[in-house]
Amino acid sequence: MSKPTANWDKVGDRFYRKIQLYSDVFDADLELENYLIAGAPYSGAVAFHRDEERVQTYRGNQTSKASIDIYSCAGKLIRRINWDQGPIKGLGWSEDEKLLVVTNDGTVRVYEGLQTDFVPFTLGHGAEEHGVLSCSFYSTGFVALLGNNHLIEVSRYDEPRPHLLATAPDQAVVSWTLISPADSLSRSVEVLLAIGQTIYVVDASEAEDRGLDKGPFQHISVSPNGRFVALYTIDGKVWVVSSDFQDQLSEYDTKSKTNPKDMQWCGNDSVVLAWEDEVHLIGPNGSATKYFYDGWVHLIPDYDGIRLFTNEVCEFLQKVPDVTEEVFSLGSTAPASVLLDAMDQLDKKSPKADDDIQLIRQSLDEAVDVCVRAAGHEFSIHFQKQLLKAASFGKSVLDLYNSDDFVDMCETLRVLNAVRFYEVGLPLSYDQYIRLTPERLIERLINRNEYLLALRISDYLRLPTDRIHVHWASQKVRVSTEPEDAICRLIVQKLHGKRGVSFEEIARAAHDEGRQKLATDLLNYEPRAGKQVPLLLSMQEDVIALDKAIESGDTDLVYYVLLSLKKKLPLATFFRTINSRPVATALVESSAWEEDQDMLKDLYYQDDRRLDGANLLLMESLDQTDNQHRIDKIKFASKLLVDSKEFTSQKAALDEIPRLLKHQVTYEKDFSPGFVGLSINATIYKLIRLGALKRAQKLQSDFKVPERTFWWLRLRALVAKRDWTELEEISKVKKSPIGWEPFFSEVLGAGNLRVASGFVGKCTGLRVQERAEMYVKCGMVGKAAEELLKGKDLEGLRELRGKAGGRELGEVERAIKVLESGKR
Amino acid sequence: MAIHTSISTSEFGDKARRELLHLLEQVRGKKNLVIARCLAAPLNLFVKFSTLQEYGVDRVFFVENSNVDSSQRNVIFLARGDKSKHVTAIAEQIRMLRHNGQVDHEFSVLWVPRRTLVSDQIFEEAGVLGEVNVHEYPLYFMPLADDLLSLELDDAFKDLYLWQDPSAIFTSAKALMLMQQKHGLFPRIIGKGDNAKRLADLLVRMRSEISADDESGGAGSSMLDLAPSQSIESLIIIDREVDFPTILLTQLTYEGLIDEFYGIASNQTEIDYATVGAAPTPAGSSSTAASQSLKRKIPLDATDALYATLRDSNCAVVGPILSGVARRLQSTSDRNNIAAKTTAELREFVKELPGYQAEQASLKLHTNLAGEIINRTGSDIFSRVLEVQQNIAAGADPTTQHESIEELIARDVPLPTILRLLCIESTVSNGIRPRDLENFKKAILQGYGYQHLLTLSALERMGLLIPRIGGGLVGASAGPIGKTTNYNSVRKTLNMILDDVNETEPDDVAYVFSGYAPLSVRLAQCIVQKQYLINLTTQKGTNAPAAAASTAAQGWRPFEDTVRQIRGATFDEAQLGDEKAVRARQIINGSERDSGKTVVVFFLGGVCRAEVAALRFVAKQLKEEGRGKKLLICTTGVLTGDRVVEAAIEKRSFAN
Repeated sequence: MSKPTANWDKVGDRFYRKIQLYSDVFDADLELENYLIAGAPYSGAVAFHRDEERVQTYRGNQTSKASIDIYSCAGKLIRRINWDQGPIKGLGWSEDEKLLVVTNDGTVRVYEGLQTDFVPFTLGHGAEEHGVLSCSFYSTGFVALLGNNHLIEVSRYDEPRPHLLATAPDQAVVSWTLISPADSLSRSVEVLLAIGQTIYVVDASEAEDRGLDKGPFQHISVSPNGRFVALYTIDGKVWVVSSDFQDQLSEYDTKSKTNPKDMQWCGNDSVVLAWEDEVHLIGPNGSATKYFYDGWVHLIPDYDGIRLFTNEVCEFLQKVPDVTEEVFSLGSTAPASVLLDAMDQLDKKSPKADDDIQLIRQSLDEAVDVCVRAAGHEFSIHFQKQLLKAASFGKSVLDLYNSDDFVDMCETLRVLNAVRFYEVGLPLSYDQYIRLTPERLIERLINRNEYLLALRISDYLRLPTDRIHVHWASQKVRVSTEPEDAICRLIVQKLHGKRGVSFEEIARAAHDEGRQKLATDLLNYEPRAGKQVPLLLSMQEDVIALDKAIESGDTDLVYYVLLSLKKKLPLATFFRTINSRPVATALVESSAWEEDQDMLKDLYYQDDRRLDGANLLLMESLDQTDNQHRIDKIKFASKLLVDSKEFTSQKAALDEIPRLLKHQVTYEKDFSPGFVGLSINATIYKLIRLGALKRAQKLQSDFKVPERTFWWLRLRALVAKRDWTELEEISKVKKSPIGWEPFFSEVLGAGNLRVASGFVGKCTGLRVQERAEMYVKCGMVGKAAEELLKGKDLEGLRELRGKAGGRELGEVERAIKVLESGKR
Repeated sequence: MAIHTSISTSEFGDKARRELLHLLEQVRGKKNLVIARCLAAPLNLFVKFSTLQEYGVDRVFFVENSNVDSSQRNVIFLARGDKSKHVTAIAEQIRMLRHNGQVDHEFSVLWVPRRTLVSDQIFEEAGVLGEVNVHEYPLYFMPLADDLLSLELDDAFKDLYLWQDPSAIFTSAKALMLMQQKHGLFPRIIGKGDNAKRLADLLVRMRSEISADDESGGAGSSMLDLAPSQSIESLIIIDREVDFPTILLTQLTYEGLIDEFYGIASNQTEIDYATVGAAPTPAGSSSTAASQSLKRKIPLDATDALYATLRDSNCAVVGPILSGVARRLQSTSDRNNIAAKTTAELREFVKELPGYQAEQASLKLHTNLAGEIINRTGSDIFSRVLEVQQNIAAGADPTTQHESIEELIARDVPLPTILRLLCIESTVSNGIRPRDLENFKKAILQGYGYQHLLTLSALERMGLLIPRIGGGLVGASAGPIGKTTNYNSVRKTLNMILDDVNETEPDDVAYVFSGYAPLSVRLAQCIVQKQYLINLTTQKGTNAPAAAASTAAQGWRPFEDTVRQIRGATFDEAQLGDEKAVRARQIINGSERDSGKTVVVFFLGGVCRAEVAALRFVAKQLKEEGRGKKLLICTTGVLTGDRVVEAAIEKRSFAN
């Protein structure tokens, strides 16, 4: 086994290593220089598209057909997309491996999950007229540069909303790139445009000139963490500055006369320049190293390093991780390095192993940790094993050690080694795996149809397997040529009862494939009623969709189905459909009550719901401003109720409305406006206040207002009118149907003590004490005393003494005396 | 997530605030915010306007006013996605802005609590879907107090009982599911009422759907989340329909009366300056705003210690409490004045000074307010109404009260008051004798206008005001079991009328209505306070249901017979969860502790402040018993009787 440091190179004071991931990657005939290449982040798939603008060797007609080819990192063809849509101006990937293809006219095609058909959308904002020049992609979106220097951002693909960024000066853009929203200070995308001598920073609201004078910049590139920017000037220098353009960090002179074809970051602290067959790695402080190749080299930057593609090999260039350096670097005396040595000695059965252990005894736990972590960063299985063995040995010496990290690392490495296998072709580094997360790794495996591996890994890592099953089944439905019954049986047999399996998705795949029967059969196994609804609707199973929507309890779904049913069906059929479903009827009614009363009228008519129909008309009449229209509506409403016995009282009430309105119109003519709209009681009240008692009485008898009500109205109106004479007049009447206390309290409330007191004597139904109280309220203690005397209430009188004063006190005293003497 | 911490209501507010600010942050730069009016007050519960400003909100408009201008490029709409009215209005405004503005607007819409298919469809038809950034803002429960969560669905009552529209049930189920996802399954779902049953069924269904749901199939919902909760004992769902009379009665707690008289919207009430005096404004800043309206906004929540003691008291004792506090403040300030102070004491005093001042201000406010309320409760009409209510609730022959009601109509008492009386009679005695009902209807039409034909018909539809079938006597009016409530029997077995309740030192929940114990609260007591209820009934010598039953009984036992006499479905379901997960957790956590668990009481359709006060009283009793049980009250919205009948009242009239 070669040394682990064999592929290391020193750049400045740091080591970089170039790991050969796969060999024999591409066909030797493939002319890499003629291809546009884009690689998905986290060692994902690589898309190739032959650059139409370049000359190429003529090979007969078999290759003349344009296509986009998707390869794995190991050079395995995953998919070929035939392409006849003209020149491609942007080819890129999202973090979740959606392939994005942008054409000149601003059409964006989103190919999800490597296998499926595309979903298109257009950029708009003038992309069609001015044409797209180029695109720059980030994890969840991209920015397109148009011919007129306008920038259009799309920040997500599930619901793309292209929007225009601020306008940059209309001069030639030499090069440009962007800082992704996740890394920028403003949390929104920032585009760096190299224009003239300087750089413009453009976001949604403004375009700011950074005032640089070293340009024009041929290349511009932002580090993966968004904190640094590398600039390549026309005179062959590389500048690294902080992304806010405040600090200049390093400068490197390539002394090259030719412009490199690409400049990318390798991790966060070095920049890689690529010419046709030469690669420069520039570390901090201007130190550099060079690599030479036989053929064309392509750079695909990743989060923690950079992948280099040539026809023969796929390599990964990265800074040697700190822990790896600690363990392996020559002459290292770090505890981990000693521990590794101890392991070697142990293998040789040498007692030096123990010496080594004793040497690092103090920091043994740290040494174990470092070995475990270094194992993670190792691509070679041999060294992984070495390091893990060393760690295992080290921890066996320790009394107390938490092995969780060790166990996790072993699991992780098993997974990594499995997916790095050339047939799978996902050469993930440890850091990439952590950032990608196991769940999304599974997703990627599914997209590559590696179902078995995905299942094994899911089981191994205790992850849910539902997605895998569903994807498998959907794929089965799409491609299988077996009879539909058999497919259905097979799928159900495998997936039924498994947690989280969405039969709806499988059924949708079947539906999209045109296998209606299969779709229906599969949908029956979907446990979530709500999920079934949209598919059922698109399958024209309207009634079942309605039932399922109701079953789900989600009123939004029910509304949704109802809306589409209403559009589709004749009204009568629609009513019949909802009729037997109370929830549906209720929803139709409550929404139509505010929005579509005409339909409601039809509904009530068809259902023979006369009272509701009449109510609706009454409501309409309330909305009318013209009296005659109102009356017409109400007459119509009353007509609806004419034949039914149960609604006679409602009908009677309806019939009274026009009568009342007519009266009120007359009163308005005779007296003053403000009658129309009043209730009968209010009308009577108003009439009395205006002094029209006769008319009020007429109205009373016309509408059979009860006598008691009428008296109350009269009392309140007179008090409000302060018509004391009239009230005193009334007090001469013998009987009142409401008694006399209301008269007393209402008048008293209005503040007329004198008139109020006139009613006390008429309250014959009350006890003397209450009457006395009433007198006191009117301020007539004398009268109160008289009352109490009549009632022979000595106690009351004594209490009264406190309230009396002056002359009245005498009266009270006298009354007390009378009583006291009477007692004796 | 293995250990479920106990529920605190503040977490709901925090979450809502975080999510809103996050959504606002996603829109770069200054923005104008257009919100639906019904969301304005709830928003105020957990986020301040100044905070919104920090997040770039320039001006706030109401959707209903449709007056949003082009002063900012970014416009964010915030409205309920399930209200097609809002959706249409917003679509209209977007189109308007797009047409007449020179500004190239960026539109975002935040749908509360979720994005609906219908909203998408309306947007699509209006041709605006393509240029709007649509987000969901999952705002469900909002904290009104540390033991009260509300969905603040203003229309829930109307939708549920007038239109039979189950949207509110679905929203409630969603909200409760979120709670379950955070705190584990409710180990027991128990409740009363047809809609409550529907809600419980929906919860069970959603649970099975969630375990079949792929979206959360990732790391989000592991097996443990679907295990029964450690911190929640049970969920009690009470359908408002089960107990209409309680909500229709006039509440007699301080907070209840404020709600009755002035209305409380999301812990805020508006009261005339004349009543409470001007706000203690520190600067002239708000005086300009004050001059515009004669009302003063008063926040009512437990952060004001005085209010916290007052809110649940019977209004009869509010006066004494206030004067006690006044005396205490007086004496402390006196003592502080006379004593010659060392500097240390002085420093101490100064430190507490702001507290004193706040207390003084609060005292002044509540003295004024309480004075006004006591004035109002002293009025002739108020006591007449109360008398009628209490007589009917206590089971007096309602016909004896008819004269009073007729008189009140003639005296032009506000219509809601009258309707409440009639609805109480109808719901307590399963309808009003048809002949009497006809008379009342006629009196109402004559007294308040013929448009109320619609009102009456709506009330009948809601089952609040119905003719008694068969027209029999009151006592014989027990309808078919499950459809109606036999109040005569239930009143006795659950001891709902306590004539000698102590209002100062309450000894039973009945204090909140001065002698009437709400049926809804009694039902909750049937579950959480079995022994107390048994004692109460046996003490009185009435026929106690199976007094031998142990308090350890679960579910409705031993009150099944009584509960059966109340309308609506009865249910009691245990959610056991995945057996493996349960066992796993038992191993982790050891034996289960029973104390300190929360009982969630959910009022579907709404709750009134008096019921909240009563349940708080129950919680206090439980605490004194030392069982450590906590009550968390959740509801679709806070109601008063007026709001109930107003759902039916036709607001238009024939006046032009």
